Amino acid sequence: MKTDNLLLVLFAVYPVVRALWPMPRSLQTGTTLVKLSPSFSIEVDVAHPPQDLLDAVSRTNQHLKGDMLQRLIVGRASSDTAALVHAPSLTKLSLTLAPAEVTSVKSIMAEATKDIASRREGYSLTLPASGGAASIVANSTLGLFRGLTTFEQLWYADSAGDPYTYQAPVIIADDSPAYPYRGFMLDTARNFFSVSDIKRTLDAMSMVKMSQFHWHVVDSQSFPLSIPDFPELSQNGAYSSSEVYSSSDVQDIVTYAGTRGIDVLMEIDTPGHTAIISTSHPEHVACAQATPWENFANEPPAGQLRLASAATTNFTTSLITSIAKTLPSTLFSTGGDELNVNCYTQDAQTQAELDESGKTLEEALNTFTQSSHDALKALGKTPVVWEEMALDHNVTLSNSTVIMVWISSQDAAAVAAKNLRIVHSPSDYFYLDCGAGEWIGNDPAANSWCDPFKSWQKAYTFDPLANLTEAQTSLVLGGQQLLWAEQSGPENLDSIAWPRAAASAEVFWTGATLPDGTPLNGTTALPRLHDVRFRMVQRGINAIALQPQWCALRDGQCNM
Amino acid sequence: MLSKVPIALAVLLSISPSFALWPAPRQITTGSTALKLSPGFKITTTGIKNVPSDLTDAITRTLNFIANDQLQALVVDRGASSAGVVKTAKSLSSLTLSLKSTGTVKSISEEAILPLESRVEGYTLVIPADGSAATLQANSTLGLFRGLTTFGQVWYELNGNAYTLQAPFHIVDSPAFPYRGFMLDTARNFFPISDIKRTLDAMSWVKINTFHWHVVDSQSFPLVVPGFTELSAKGAYNAQSTYSPADVKDLVAYAAARGIDVIAEIDTPGHTAAIAQSHPEHIACPDATPWSQFANEPPAGQLRLANPATVNFTSNLLVSAASLFQSSYFSTGGDEINANCYTSDAQTQAELSAQGTTVDGALNTFAQHIHGALRSVGKTAVVWEEMLLAHSVDLDKSTLVMVWISSDDVAAVVQQGYKVIHTSSDVFYLDCGAGGWVGQNVLGNSWCDPFKTWQISYAFDPLANLTTDQQDLIVGGQHLLWTEQSGPANLDSIVWPRAASSAEVFWSGPGGNGDTALPRLHDISYRFRQRGVNAISLQPEWCALRPGACDLNA
Repeated sequence: MKTDNLLLVLFAVYPVVRALWPMPRSLQTGTTLVKLSPSFSIEVDVAHPPQDLLDAVSRTNQHLKGDMLQRLIVGRASSDTAALVHAPSLTKLSLTLAPAEVTSVKSIMAEATKDIASRREGYSLTLPASGGAASIVANSTLGLFRGLTTFEQLWYADSAGDPYTYQAPVIIADDSPAYPYRGFMLDTARNFFSVSDIKRTLDAMSMVKMSQFHWHVVDSQSFPLSIPDFPELSQNGAYSSSEVYSSSDVQDIVTYAGTRGIDVLMEIDTPGHTAIISTSHPEHVACAQATPWENFANEPPAGQLRLASAATTNFTTSLITSIAKTLPSTLFSTGGDELNVNCYTQDAQTQAELDESGKTLEEALNTFTQSSHDALKALGKTPVVWEEMALDHNVTLSNSTVIMVWISSQDAAAVAAKNLRIVHSPSDYFYLDCGAGEWIGNDPAANSWCDPFKSWQKAYTFDPLANLTEAQTSLVLGGQQLLWAEQSGPENLDSIAWPRAAASAEVFWTGATLPDGTPLNGTTALPRLHDVRFRMVQRGINAIALQPQWCALRDGQCNM
Repeated sequence: MLSKVPIALAVLLSISPSFALWPAPRQITTGSTALKLSPGFKITTTGIKNVPSDLTDAITRTLNFIANDQLQALVVDRGASSAGVVKTAKSLSSLTLSLKSTGTVKSISEEAILPLESRVEGYTLVIPADGSAATLQANSTLGLFRGLTTFGQVWYELNGNAYTLQAPFHIVDSPAFPYRGFMLDTARNFFPISDIKRTLDAMSWVKINTFHWHVVDSQSFPLVVPGFTELSAKGAYNAQSTYSPADVKDLVAYAAARGIDVIAEIDTPGHTAAIAQSHPEHIACPDATPWSQFANEPPAGQLRLANPATVNFTSNLLVSAASLFQSSYFSTGGDEINANCYTSDAQTQAELSAQGTTVDGALNTFAQHIHGALRSVGKTAVVWEEMLLAHSVDLDKSTLVMVWISSDDVAAVVQQGYKVIHTSSDVFYLDCGAGGWVGQNVLGNSWCDPFKTWQISYAFDPLANLTTDQQDLIVGGQHLLWTEQSGPANLDSIVWPRAASSAEVFWSGPGGNGDTALPRLHDISYRFRQRGVNAISLQPEWCALRPGACDLNA
C-alpha cells in the first residue's frame, strides 16, 4: 500500500518550512512573506459541492483568522513586522477537482469511509510568492480537505493578529499518504469519555491528517454503548446512565469524524474482555468475576463469552451485526486478544458444550469467529482482529482480514508470513499509557507492564517495513498510537495523547523519507512538532509542552 | 519537628471503604449512623470577636462545596441502596465554630504565614449522630480552616441530599510536620495566575500549607521585581507571560486565605542565564556552547559570584523580590553550580585572583551577603542541598535545606544540625519518566527515570534512619513539578492526585497503609474533579467503585 514518489523527490528542495505536520511527500518552499488579504476568500470550483466540503472551507476560514499562532522564533510576531509592510497579499484560494472527477462528486465523508484500499487523499497545492491566487487540486473532496489542512498550517499571526506566511512560494506537486491507515485508538470502557472529548480528539486527529479512529468502545469494566436491539447491555453495564453513547451519539461521532476525513473503526472485543455482559446476560459469560482474577483474566474483572455455546455465538453475532450495520465504515473489529484458557477450563457449561460437540477449545473458537466474521462480511464489512487470532489460535481468517499487531513490533513478520494485512499497533512503540506505574492495587513498587513511557521520539523511529520482504510491504495498511484508559480519562486525554500521537501520523503519511530524500529525522522533526503542538493549543487542545518555551523558540539550541 | 501526637492507626484501618478524608486525621472515631444536612444547614461562629473576613469567606466556600460537590459515594450503586436510610436520617442543621484561646483573633492569612514553629493548625471536630449541632474548635483561625476542610470532605450526594453513613464523628487532628508543600516551576514554561490559583485551591483541599514558587530560571524571568523591571521586560517569554507586583500580591493573599504560605525562590548563582538579557555584565558564560559543558540544561549562564557589583545587584534584587511576599522565608536556590562556567569566564578568574580566593570561597561570601541582606528584612533563607553538602557554605542554623538529589543525602544534612525539607527526586519529582526532552537524543530517558508513582511517595518515611534528635530537624516535605515538559496543558493531570500523597505523609505521619489509602485517594480525586481540578484516574472506574477488587491476588 506504500506508494513511492521517487520522481517528486528529485525536484523537491530541502524544506526550510517548519510548520507542516505531517510533512508532505513533495514540497518546495521559498522565503517570501505573503499576507492574507482582508478580502481573502476560498472559491470552491466544484459543481454542486457537498455540504461537508463547504463546512470544511468555513472551518478553514475560521482557523486562518482564529489560530492566532505567532511564529516560534525569538521575538515572535514582531520579527516580521517591518518586512510585512510591502508584502504581497493572497486574495483567493481555489479548490478544484481533476477534470475526470467532476461528474461524480462525493462528500468528504463518503470518500473517507470507503474501503481502506480505495481512498483517495492526494492533492496538489500552489501558493505563489507574488500573492494573488493559491490553488488546491485533487481527485476527491477528501483530497481537497487534506489540502485545506495543509494550507491552514502555513499561516501565522502578525503583531496585529492578521495572518501571513513567511515561506512563499509553496509548491506541493503531489502529496498523498504513504499508508492509508493512520489511526488513533481510544478505550472508552476502562474510564468513560464524553462525546465532546471524542470530538475534540477527532479535531486533533484531522489536524495531522489521521484517517482512522479505532474506537475500543466496550470492555470487561463497562459497556457504555447503547445497541438498538440490546439496550440491556448498556443499561446494566454502563458506569451510569449518563455514561452511555446513545445511537444518536454514535451517529453524531461517526458523522463528525467522516466529515473530517476520519473513518470510525468500532471494536466489540470478543470472546474475552466481556465480563460486563454478565450484568445483563449471565448465561453468556464464563467465569464472571471469578477470583483471584489473575487466574482468569489479564486484568479484573474476569469473564469471557461462552464461545462453545450456540446460543452465545448467535447472541454475539446478532450483537455485532446490530451495531455494525449502523456504521458507515467497511471495517469492524471483533477483538480477540488475551483469551484466558483457564476461564473455560473452570466453566462447567463450556466443558459440557465442548464434550457434547466433540470440539476442542480452538475449534469452538474457530466456529465462534466464523459466525461473527461471516455476518460482518454479509454486511459488506471487513473483519479486524488482534494478532492472537492470527498467531496464537487456530482460527481460519479470510485473506482480507486486518490484523492489529500489538504484543510486540517483532510479531509483524509472522503476520505477514501468513499473508494477512497489518495495522501496526505495537505496545513497544505506540502504547500511550505505558510508564505511569502499576494501576493494580496492593502492588506499590510495580511498574506498568509495558514500561517505559513511549516517547514521541520512540514512536517516530518506528519502521513500518522492518523485517518484511519487498513482496510483503503491500500488506502494511498503516498504524496507530493507542490509549488504553486504565489510568486515563477526560482529565488527561489531551495531555497523554498530544502531541505524541502526531508522531505516528507523520510516520504513516510521509513514509520513510522527507521530500529531500533523506530519512525521517527526529532532530529536524522537533521544531515542526513544536509548531503543530502550539497550533493545537491555540485550537483548544491541551497538547503538552515538549521543551521549555526557550527551546521551542530556538531551533537546535537545546540539542545534545 | 514531628509533633508527638499519637496516631490512632487501629482506628484508621477499621474504617469503611467509602471513608473519604484525605489526609487521614491523626485521631478519629466514626460510627455507622446515617446523617444528612438539613436544607437550611448553616455554619456559625460563637465567641469569636470580630470574625476575620477570610474566615467568613472560608465558611462560605465550605457551604458552596457542600452544595455543589455533588459527589456520589464510590460504591457500585453510587449510594442508591442507601436512599431509605438517608430519607429517614436525622438532619444536621448547624456547625458551630469556636476558638479555645481567648486572645486577639488573628486572620487565617496572618496565621498561615507565621514562622513554621509557630503555626497552629490543629482542630477538634465533633459531628453527633443525633442531629444536634456539630462543633469545630481550634486554637487558631487556621485550625478552624483545617477543620472546615475536613468537614467539607464528609458528605456525599444522593437525591439532592448531602449525607454521610458514618456519624458520629469525633476527630482530634493536627499535622505531624509543619511544612507540607508543593513546588511549581514557572520559568521553563509559563503558567497564568488562574492556573496557580486553581493549584492553590487543590493544595488547600489536602491541607498543604506551603507553595514553593520556583518563579524564575535560566529560560525565562517572568517576575516583575520593583527596581529591576528590566529583568522581566527582557527576560520574560513575552509581555503577557509575567507576574506583576499586583499579581503577586493577589496570589499571596489568595494563598494565605487558604492557609498557604508562599515561599518564592530566586535561584542563585546558577540558573540565571535569563538575567543576561538585561544585565550581561553580571552573567558568566551566557548562552555558552556546547551548553552541556557549562550547565545542566540549556541555556548556560551564572551570576558572576566573585564580582562585588554582582553580589550587590543580587542582594538588592532578592531584597526587592522578597518584599513582594509576606512569608518569613525566601529561597536563594544554590543548586547545580557549574564550575567550568566560572573557569572559562576571564572576569571571574581575574576577580578570584585579585581576591585570592576560590570559587567556593567566593560562593561563601556571595551567600553570606545575600542571606545577611534577607535576614535584615526578616527573612529566613532556604537553599538546595548543594550549598551545604557540595560547597560547605557557612549557613545559619535557621536555614531550611531542601534535599533533592537523593533521599540518601538527608543524613548528611541532619548530621550537621540543619533543618531538612524532603524534596527528593527519587521520591517526589513529578516530571520524571516522560522521556528525555533535550533534542537530538532520540531514545533518551528522563534523567530521573522512572515515573514516581503516588505509591512510591506514599511509602516514603520522612524519619527513616534518623535518631530522635535528628528527627526534630525534619520540617516536612513536598512534591515538585519542574516544567521542561509541562505547562498549563497538563498541570492538573501531572500533579493530581499524586501530590496529595505527600500531603498525607506529612500531615498524618509515616506508616500509612497504601492498600487502604487507595480508595480514599480515589475519593479525593473524584471530589477534585467535581470541584474543577482535573485529577487523573488511578484505575478504571470499575475498580474505584469496588475497593480491593483490583488488588493483586484479589
